[in-house]
Amino acid sequence: MTEKHMKLNSVEEILDYAIKKEEEAARFYADLADRVEQKAMGDVFRDFSKEEQEHKRKLLTVKSGSAAMLSMDRVLDLKIGDYLVDITLSPHLDYKQALIIAMKAEKAAFRLYHNLAATTDDENLRALLLMLAQEEARHKLRFEIEYEDYYLREN
Amino acid sequence: MSEVVKKKKYDLDRRDMPKQPPEVRRFNFDEVALGYTPELAVEEAKRCIQCKRPTCIGNCPVEINIPGFLNRVADGDFAGGIRILKEKNCLPAICGRVCPQEEQCEKTCIFRKKGGQIAIGRVERFLADWEAQQGELEMPELPRKTGYKVAIVGGGPSGLTVAGDLIKMGHEVTVFEALHKMGGVLVYGIPEFRLPKVIVNREVEYLQMLGVELVTDFVVGRTRTIDSLLDEYDAVFVGSGAGLPWFMDIPGENLNGVYSANEYLTRLNLMKGFLFPKYHTPVKRHRKVAVVGGGNVAMDCARSALRLGAESRIVYRRSREELPARLEEIENAEEEGVIFDFLTLPLRYIGDENGWVKAMECQKMELGEPDASGRRRPVPIEGSETIYEVDAVVCAIGNSPNPLIGATTPGLIIGKKGNIEANEETGATSREKIWAGGDVVTGAATVILAMGAGRIAARSIHEYLTSNGSA
Repeated sequence: MTEKHMKLNSVEEILDYAIKKEEEAARFYADLADRVEQKAMGDVFRDFSKEEQEHKRKLLTVKSGSAAMLSMDRVLDLKIGDYLVDITLSPHLDYKQALIIAMKAEKAAFRLYHNLAATTDDENLRALLLMLAQEEARHKLRFEIEYEDYYLREN
Repeated sequence: MSEVVKKKKYDLDRRDMPKQPPEVRRFNFDEVALGYTPELAVEEAKRCIQCKRPTCIGNCPVEINIPGFLNRVADGDFAGGIRILKEKNCLPAICGRVCPQEEQCEKTCIFRKKGGQIAIGRVERFLADWEAQQGELEMPELPRKTGYKVAIVGGGPSGLTVAGDLIKMGHEVTVFEALHKMGGVLVYGIPEFRLPKVIVNREVEYLQMLGVELVTDFVVGRTRTIDSLLDEYDAVFVGSGAGLPWFMDIPGENLNGVYSANEYLTRLNLMKGFLFPKYHTPVKRHRKVAVVGGGNVAMDCARSALRLGAESRIVYRRSREELPARLEEIENAEEEGVIFDFLTLPLRYIGDENGWVKAMECQKMELGEPDASGRRRPVPIEGSETIYEVDAVVCAIGNSPNPLIGATTPGLIIGKKGNIEANEETGATSREKIWAGGDVVTGAATVILAMGAGRIAARSIHEYLTSNGSA
């Protein structure tokens, strides 16, 4: 079943799915860290991987009963990643490209949860999915701010 | 009466520097600012009240004795003034023109609050130009040769500073420059109307007269590696700058007519494209040029495009208040007729059937709610997309160091942003016998900061060579 047609029917299913997605992201960055040529870029992707593991830990805590750790508060969307071209993965990636990859991945995750929320009539499930969407938006904002502060100084 | 006395004591009337009128200068590449006359320089220098604890010196990256040279000028002793200036600054004619004094030495001038800060940069420039007009340069006495040899990678501001300092300490110095002319960003980046190249050449010739060997068309990392240079030299300083331009990574950036600021300015400044056919490298004359960015480089590109006959506009995603360019350059651009589109973001470039850019789609922005840091960041306004007709776009959003040195020098630690990692206090890198400074360490910054880093590294190299016996 593709993610587009996926339906998650319980809080547990949703959280398990979200945890799995964070694990996949952590693995993706760890693999990339081993494949890039520059040592500094390897460190960057290892840090990204650690951040994803932190996200996973947060979701595990939520799953164990601390739902208050998530919030519905709308996160600022600078939309920087929206207009940038996709980056082709290669061993020569630089920091700018790394940030674009991360921004786009977080935005895709945001969209996924947002779309999933629209497919359910269950208020509780919708709320959880929207909270997860905002969580991804928060992750994206961190990368957008880093990108804006360094690469969009326009100086 | 008391008012008269007060006025005499504290003259807050910062003397303007004569400039070419906008309607004249927008059609030529001659220098915009014409410099102080001796009378204006003396008047301006006399305004300095010679603070007991001057804050201007500490705010100068190379710690020039500013009250000292102003005092000499106030007395009409220009030779004494230039001597003091050159104790700490080997490129005063350049710094007097392109340093952001308003952010450095002039920033803490006691008169700043009342808008009457001393025009330190203008007097500095006057002194350097005065010295050049005297014909003969005063040459310093050089010490006995130490026998140590130092290679400098890059003939820009940091490299030239290191060269000037080390030759005066008795070492043999060779500067390797990738381009066919020395000067780095001073010759390929800053336009003639802001920094005439004859001035850069003068400073380079001075170093040559001191005995610095200059080698052009030599790409360290390709022609020879740093390790190969170390077979012959006792130390290497890397000051190769930030020559790798950034693009926005939006669709259409590969179209013809979309330039990086580096390419656009190099064609004009280094290759003298604006003087075709006298010089053999023509530059395409565009009708409508959009320059993306808001720094000094963007202003240089927009004002150059204007002088080549184009309608020229700056496209900037924040508002006028956030423009990072020097206020003087913004005002010059406005006076000359550059159009400013603030809070505007390019989304994509649109090409014609021959692969040339013909338009750009932009979106209007607004400043969002303050984030955790309290900053209001620009966010797009949905539905505000507009198409502008353009036949050239210049991307002037920033640069990183070229990765060549890092890729060909094993053991040299490179940061995630592509910069060489160097000790701030000494310029020493992770590799013994290799120092670095300027934009290659900090990312694109100012000429004077690069010179400051060069000065620090020169001191450290000298200490290393003389304390180690043979390096």
